[in-house]
Amino acid sequence: MEVKIIRESEEIIVFLKGRMDTPASIEIAPQINALTEDAGGTIILDCTELSYISSSGLRIFITLRKAAAEKGGRIIVRNISNEIRSVFMMTGFLNLFEIQ
Amino acid sequence: MTNHSNFRALMLVVVAAVALEATALVQLFYSQKGLREEAKMRAESQLESTQFEIMDIIDQTEAAVRNSVWIAQWCLNVPDSLVRVCQRIVADNPVVAGSTVALMPGYIPGKPLLAPYVYRNGAGSLLALSLATPEYNYPSHEWFIKPIELGEGYWSEPYIDEGGGEMLMTTYSLPIMDTSGTPAAVLTADISLEWLKDLVGRMKVYPNAYCTINSREGRFIVSPPESEMPESFVFDTTIERTGWTISLTIPESDIFGVLRRVGTIVGFLQLIGLLLIILMLRSFIKGQQRYLNLDKQRERIEGELQIATGIQMSMVPKTFPPFPERNDLDMAATIVPAKEVGGDLYDFFIRDEKLFFCVGDVSGKGIPAALVMAVTRTTFRNLSTKESSPGRIVQEMNDNICSTNESNMFVTFFCGVLDLTGGILRYCNAGHNPPRILTDSIRELPVEPNLPLGIMPGFEYREQETPFFYDDAIFLYTDGLTEAENSEHDQFGEERTDVALRGRKSAQKHLDNIKQKVAEFVGDAPQSDDLTMLFIHYLPATHHIAMHNDLSQIALLPDFVNEAVNASKLDPAMTDTLNLALEEAVTNVIMYAYPEGTSGEINLAASVGENSITFTIIDSGRAFDPTAKDAVDINAGLEERPVGGLGIHLVRKIMDLVRYERIGEKNILYLTKFY
Repeated sequence: MEVKIIRESEEIIVFLKGRMDTPASIEIAPQINALTEDAGGTIILDCTELSYISSSGLRIFITLRKAAAEKGGRIIVRNISNEIRSVFMMTGFLNLFEIQ
Repeated sequence: MTNHSNFRALMLVVVAAVALEATALVQLFYSQKGLREEAKMRAESQLESTQFEIMDIIDQTEAAVRNSVWIAQWCLNVPDSLVRVCQRIVADNPVVAGSTVALMPGYIPGKPLLAPYVYRNGAGSLLALSLATPEYNYPSHEWFIKPIELGEGYWSEPYIDEGGGEMLMTTYSLPIMDTSGTPAAVLTADISLEWLKDLVGRMKVYPNAYCTINSREGRFIVSPPESEMPESFVFDTTIERTGWTISLTIPESDIFGVLRRVGTIVGFLQLIGLLLIILMLRSFIKGQQRYLNLDKQRERIEGELQIATGIQMSMVPKTFPPFPERNDLDMAATIVPAKEVGGDLYDFFIRDEKLFFCVGDVSGKGIPAALVMAVTRTTFRNLSTKESSPGRIVQEMNDNICSTNESNMFVTFFCGVLDLTGGILRYCNAGHNPPRILTDSIRELPVEPNLPLGIMPGFEYREQETPFFYDDAIFLYTDGLTEAENSEHDQFGEERTDVALRGRKSAQKHLDNIKQKVAEFVGDAPQSDDLTMLFIHYLPATHHIAMHNDLSQIALLPDFVNEAVNASKLDPAMTDTLNLALEEAVTNVIMYAYPEGTSGEINLAASVGENSITFTIIDSGRAFDPTAKDAVDINAGLEERPVGGLGIHLVRKIMDLVRYERIGEKNILYLTKFY
């Protein structure tokens, strides 16, 4: 999968593209975990092109979410597909994340 | 048939008669020869001993005369003393009846004839008289003439002594020479021949044999009996000095009489024997006829039994493939019946996504075995419509068969229940040959030593189970396979079976191949037992993959899931969802079942059924039950939420059935999604 991080003045936008399965999650985990430094601000996870997510991906999401909660930041999940929405629903993530 | 038999029987009697008669004739010939030789031997020995006795008398007489020659010579000059010489001969020799010294006519001048004679009368006294009478005129007698003529001793022809009691006599005469060597007188001794009659009368070698003695001139000294004699054998011998011929006549009837009697008895016995042969042949032909009838009867019963077996067998699945609508089973079964009806059976059917199958072999052959086989099959069908545990099915079957088993037959039986949704085989073996399991290798299915059915009511049959995965196969058979014998009495055996099972083939091709191998092995030897085989190839999935315990292998999942979903009735949009469940399950295995640094395999199979799709994940790692994990509270607040534990939660959410089993050294996780 591909990860593109764009830092703007007010927020950091993370473009997630492809299948966020276990190996992919392990691969991108360092990149995203590094963003916990910036968890005090707003981080937008753009899922427009994210087609698939497994629990390893969800783990990355929740890790970031916990860091934001600690630092008073904000995590926005943007443009999730129906498939990912259903995964979020099954895992209760819809209640944990701000979904746009 | 009967005419032919009768003719053959007649021929047999004729041949037997000829053989018996020929034997009897040969025996008769040699017996006659032997008897004749024996008769000859006995006759000769008898004649010889008679001859000796006669010679003894002859010798005594001759000696008596010879011993008196010198004194007679001496007395020639004293003619009056000659009577004393005669007297002495008669007195000293009891055999001698009379004696004379007869001088040559004119030997003493003035006395033309001189022959004093001394004889023993009936009272035993010795009397003397003179033979020198004109009436007797002794010089004309043979006894006087012959010895002088011959110049030696001479035995006269026997004669009847008219003067001395009408006795048959003979005279031995010896010439006496004077000092000048001219014959001077004849010295004689008369002997009676009456003893000869007694002597030959004692020669009773055979009851009707008789002896005759002929004189030199052919007159009878001892005459034959007056009665006419039948065919006879005549043996004779001659006494040289007297010129007598002793003849022994033995009638043939005396020699062969016994043989003829024996011959009559033998002939009679032969006749009885032939009659017995005829009687036995008649009863044999009748028996054969009856046997032929029995044979026909037996053939008919066997034929009917074959039909009965055929009906019975027609109730078991005989059309292959048996479940054309299913693509998860490749099955084939066969019974190659032996000539005699046997008691092999197989059966199978599907109920509630479970394949019930069995193979059995009833002890013995014939009607009882076929009946027990029918009962066994019916019982199996009845019980397995409501019971799914092979152990309990077999146990109930045993109790059932025991209660109706009056013929003490038993059934070796294998019952299997294959869970078609989940790749597990439960089975119970009641003393049957362990089936072969075909996975990566071919091996024997381990079986408990349960008793065959019908032996002990109430016996507790132990059930077993084994994982039975995608592409696994089981091969069941009866001992008609492994015990198939060739003409050298070698058995086909398990080794040849395993070799024949090698290679990837369809179930039907496997069975055809084994049948052919057995046929090649057995050759012309007759098949002694039914040969029953059942081959079940489990192909539950349209797809199957094997992975290593490496997370990168997760990338293989989407294609696998995609194809499985396409083969099912699921909405293709479900692919990623199902993929997620599988990914979570496989990740768990990789992370927890295999410790760091160990390598192992994970097998995934997708079983596409009528109403559901089931994924089976099998690994050989340490026991790990993902379903035992605590459920995640998805309603908990952020602070309480752990970062992990979502994997198994997602699996549960996505799948309708999640079941974990540890079988042997394997973890098996079944994930089922209904349509």
